[in-house]
Amino acid sequence: MDKHQYEVGKEQTGWGAYAALVGGALFLSGIFSRRTDWLRFFDFTTLLGAHGRIPVEAARLTFRGTGGSGAREGFMFSLELMPAVMLALGVVGLIEGLGGLAAARKLLTPLLRPLLGIPGAAGLALITNLQSSDAGAGMTKELYQAGHITDNERTVFAMYQISGSGQITNYFGTGAALFAFYQLVPIIVPFLVIIAFKFFGANMIRLYIRVASQRGTAATRTSAAG
Amino acid sequence: MQQAQSARSNETVMDKFVNGARRGFTVATVNMLPNVVMAFIIIQALNVSGLLPLIGQVFGPVMALWGLPGEAITVLVSAFMSIGGGVGAAAGLVGTRHLSFTDATILAPAIQLMGSLVQWVGRILGTAEVNSRYWPHCVVLAIINALLAMWVMRFLVALF
Repeated sequence: MDKHQYEVGKEQTGWGAYAALVGGALFLSGIFSRRTDWLRFFDFTTLLGAHGRIPVEAARLTFRGTGGSGAREGFMFSLELMPAVMLALGVVGLIEGLGGLAAARKLLTPLLRPLLGIPGAAGLALITNLQSSDAGAGMTKELYQAGHITDNERTVFAMYQISGSGQITNYFGTGAALFAFYQLVPIIVPFLVIIAFKFFGANMIRLYIRVASQRGTAATRTSAAG
Repeated sequence: MQQAQSARSNETVMDKFVNGARRGFTVATVNMLPNVVMAFIIIQALNVSGLLPLIGQVFGPVMALWGLPGEAITVLVSAFMSIGGGVGAAAGLVGTRHLSFTDATILAPAIQLMGSLVQWVGRILGTAEVNSRYWPHCVVLAIINALLAMWVMRFLVALF
């Protein structure tokens, strides 16, 4: 299965792919959720709809009811959430199938050197990590073995991967459990914060390795001189 | 599933969506549900045993740095084990009214940034064969990422 995911990079990136990427991003961003006109249809929360309510006295409840606890409540909570996960990953599947992720890779590849200090060859693994931790890690190993990245670059890249790994799957999948609580910010905001910190963390270790290696070289020089 | 993937070129737009939705169903049932159930059981056990208020008191001053109640530490600890557990703990604590909606929003990126680190060490650092000298640095930096992200979220929540 992992091998097939590599094929993302071989797909063509026409204008349709960029349209899929931009359209998908807008759909999942939640920025159309508060509109009152027809554009409201193009939003994740709108298409997710609502569970039916069970009228009990004055309260209006979903099938989850109220006051549940423990394993039973956890199960019902997950059950209530499953349509959200299916819709989110269905849309991700659509974006991917239309070449949207390949378009994202093309846009990001020239930025890898300035952003992470790693070569553009790592672009596919970078995008793959957003979907699958294991596939991304496997590709990182192959990048090193093929001589595309150095040992230190691999460490920096792995740091990017380990914090907030598999973010498209984990944020729009499992993380969807918390979407209902985002009363103040659009769904896309915490996601962007996560992506920003992925790059931040990688640059911290990049800086650390640079400082540590300079100190190491200095120490070697001193001992050689001594 | 492999068959479906290799036949990708013949897929209609509907197929692409349905395949993704199928993956969503698998993620929800195989990855999310068991972890969420476990988290709810832990929250229930902590709540019934009276340990949760104690945790709230002990970690109150620390979590106050991010404007969160002390109970929020259970979300971060659960997240460290598995993202599903962290998400479940947050949802469970909102259910028991220990966390507000805003608290859960502030915790959301932190759950992901330090989420499942226990698993990622093997599955990412191990698989990619990263120099083991830097493994502790990676784990600590991921946790620092999470802690900083909570401040950023707190700021953003106030901003919107």
